[in-house]
Amino acid sequence: MSIELEEIADFLKQHHPFDLLPDDVIESLPKRLTARYFRAGTKVLSPEEQCLNLYIIRTGGTETRDPDGQLLGRLSEGECFGVRAMFRNGRAANNITTLEDSLCYLLPEKDFHDLAGKYPQFNYFFAQMGGDRLRSGMQMIESRDDDQLKLMSVKVEELIARDLVSIDANATILDAGRLMCAEQVSCLLVTQNGDEIAGIITDRDLRNRVIAEARSYDAPVTSIMTANPISIHPDDYAFDALLTMTRNNIRHLPVLKDGKAVGMITTNNLLARQSLSAVYMAGKISKLNDPGDIATVIAQVPELLSHLIEAGATSQNAGHIVTTLADATTTRLLQLAEAKLGPPPVPYVWMAGGSQGRQEQTAISVQNNCLMFDDAYSPDAHGAYFKALADFVCDGLNEIGYVFGSGDMTAKNDQWRQSAENWLNDFNKWIEQPDPTSLMQCCVWFDLRPVHGTTPLFDDLQRIIVSRAKDNRVFQAVLVNNAMSHHVPLGFFKNFVMIRGGEHDSKLDLKNNGVLPIVDLARIHALANGVNEVNTFERLRAVKAFPSISKQGASDLLDAFEFISITRLKHQVRQIRQGNSPDNFLQPESLSAFERTHLKDAFSVVKNLQSALEGAFGKSGT
Amino acid sequence: MGLREKIADSQFYRDFVQRRATGALRSYYDVPAADPARPIMDTEFIVLDLETTGLDPKRDEIVSLGWVIIRQLGVDFSSCEHILVRPTKQLKESSVIVHRIFDSDVADAPNIKVALEHLLPQMAGRVLVAHHAPIELGFLGQACKQAFGARLQIPTVDTLVLGLRALHRQGKPFKSGALKLDSLRRSHNLPPFRAHNALSNAIAASGLFLAQVSKRDPKGTLELRRVLR
Repeated sequence: MSIELEEIADFLKQHHPFDLLPDDVIESLPKRLTARYFRAGTKVLSPEEQCLNLYIIRTGGTETRDPDGQLLGRLSEGECFGVRAMFRNGRAANNITTLEDSLCYLLPEKDFHDLAGKYPQFNYFFAQMGGDRLRSGMQMIESRDDDQLKLMSVKVEELIARDLVSIDANATILDAGRLMCAEQVSCLLVTQNGDEIAGIITDRDLRNRVIAEARSYDAPVTSIMTANPISIHPDDYAFDALLTMTRNNIRHLPVLKDGKAVGMITTNNLLARQSLSAVYMAGKISKLNDPGDIATVIAQVPELLSHLIEAGATSQNAGHIVTTLADATTTRLLQLAEAKLGPPPVPYVWMAGGSQGRQEQTAISVQNNCLMFDDAYSPDAHGAYFKALADFVCDGLNEIGYVFGSGDMTAKNDQWRQSAENWLNDFNKWIEQPDPTSLMQCCVWFDLRPVHGTTPLFDDLQRIIVSRAKDNRVFQAVLVNNAMSHHVPLGFFKNFVMIRGGEHDSKLDLKNNGVLPIVDLARIHALANGVNEVNTFERLRAVKAFPSISKQGASDLLDAFEFISITRLKHQVRQIRQGNSPDNFLQPESLSAFERTHLKDAFSVVKNLQSALEGAFGKSGT
Repeated sequence: MGLREKIADSQFYRDFVQRRATGALRSYYDVPAADPARPIMDTEFIVLDLETTGLDPKRDEIVSLGWVIIRQLGVDFSSCEHILVRPTKQLKESSVIVHRIFDSDVADAPNIKVALEHLLPQMAGRVLVAHHAPIELGFLGQACKQAFGARLQIPTVDTLVLGLRALHRQGKPFKSGALKLDSLRRSHNLPPFRAHNALSNAIAASGLFLAQVSKRDPKGTLELRRVLR
């Protein structure tokens, strides 16, 4: 090869995924290329336009927008566009416009497919670009499947092994026993008026309520059934099912969808060691009487988290499981406090905010919680009781490992222990007269979730918050402004922007610059669209239906969130395994090139959707 | 353009030289020249650079040629060629220093006539692009006259002239050296290039030409005549 073309080969060698090709193949590539030049602002490709080449940017930069004009990404030197066209019979999918004067190398479609056919790593990189690429990267990571972990990612629906066996409410106990023998099942669903659920009977009921009580076999099944049984939704995770069964000490759980039974799951469906350990931990906490003892259980959370992540749990599952233990701890402390202080004088609800509220805790979590009372609350009469309650719980949590964070955002703070009416006034103030500084601090309260107590109190508050926030453009604009203060650590040329100086020199802050920007985005879209969810995944899934964000944008953000979160969790697990205390500061070099590329993709998705956000809500000035 | 060039580019002159041309040059003239009224987009260009033993076409000789073809305003790298030429005289030290081509390198190389027989079919019907074209035209013209009895006529774009016109249009003062190939490339955000030989220079000029056309002709409808020298 001549020396001039070697220069092009050298350029290709420096860029992914061409670097994955054998040297002799790269060296044969320049001869197949064509160079083209586009001045800044040139529309290079439009949707459905014929595109018979892959474009490799040699110098310059481009931006990609979907047919609706939504910004999807920015590309710079060494990156490719026209990829979608390669998989759509040479029809471009998006708008590509040059942002700078750009020189591109064009690889003909046929050569592209020759390479993709011969080199799986090359094909893999391109088969799914942008958000798609991220998604497939996640699949590749997740594919290290572990049977023990099925519970974390498997939905209840998939566990329903056989058709439901049910019996009419008019049947006798004898009928029920015979049917259970014939069908070889350990429980029956009792139905009335067709498929309406009346109750459930299990072999344990036959033992406890028939034999032990010497009841007549001719008595109706309804006399021994458990009416209105605890049930679960097919979309819930298997883990939730197991947790429900452990908490309620039951072994059968009907699966209901829209009030109709669609199946039954039993403990036998659910035996899996990893999840059991979390469930046993929660069970154990609920029996302990001393915060110090609970602390020894919670001390195992890093170990549990490591098991989960190593077994391939998603960050959503891991967050859910870890948060469950914080919830169990909180609930137990409240029970202990009530036992010590006497029953509460007025109904109350204990609420968690921040990461516990969102069910997104990791190996390190600070506590964010608050108390709300029924309006019958009087500070003079009841203030002391609840102050003592809050002190007991918050100090207990702190001792156990859920330490106090900055900003004093706990129920220990008098400000965050108040009646429903006062909470409502506070939220009104935050929404109607938003002040950026106080709102930034209070945003943890926009991720509230009731943990213990009288939940309807919370439901009323939430309904009002959501409806007010939905209509208030000023409030939304302030949230957007606040969200913009969380920068994604990506420079213009898609290089990582690291922390400079100090203890975490040359590291990435995966929490403040990675996870939180997405949490902010999800919160804004959720509040603006009247969505109740607080979990970031749930919020993003819910807002797909609304126009404030494109469906693709929401999907990409979901993937980005999972990827950044799991990268953060893996980082923590690595630290735990090395015997260090976990943190959120990652050295990019500790990642593989593959992970780095995907992390950049994830950051650029966030960056783009932050920009889109300004368009959708911010800068309205109204 | 001076009167001399006008005559050199005229149909009258073309008819004149065509009648006297022999061999490969004759075949070259049998293909009609590129039509100056056609859009640039539909015109094919051959971007060429050559290295010589000096600057005087009458006394000095070509030692290497490099070229690449542009079609549909895309540089087709599969068309790249680089050939060394064996001069009739021994290489001068001063020129060896410039292009680092030694006598031993060109000992087995074809002579200029054979080289032209290879190059001329590539030029037929196309437009020549060169940075500071008088050098290329002068040496090729002289070589053709000696080998095939007539001079070479070809529609030509000079990227240096295009660069000069653009600077004039902008009305800004410019420094000496601003019209060098590398400076002009940089001004269009093109990557730095290593000037190894005639082909690397030709490729560098091809990128510059694309950039210049894209600035001059955003819509891609400009006629060829607008960029000819």
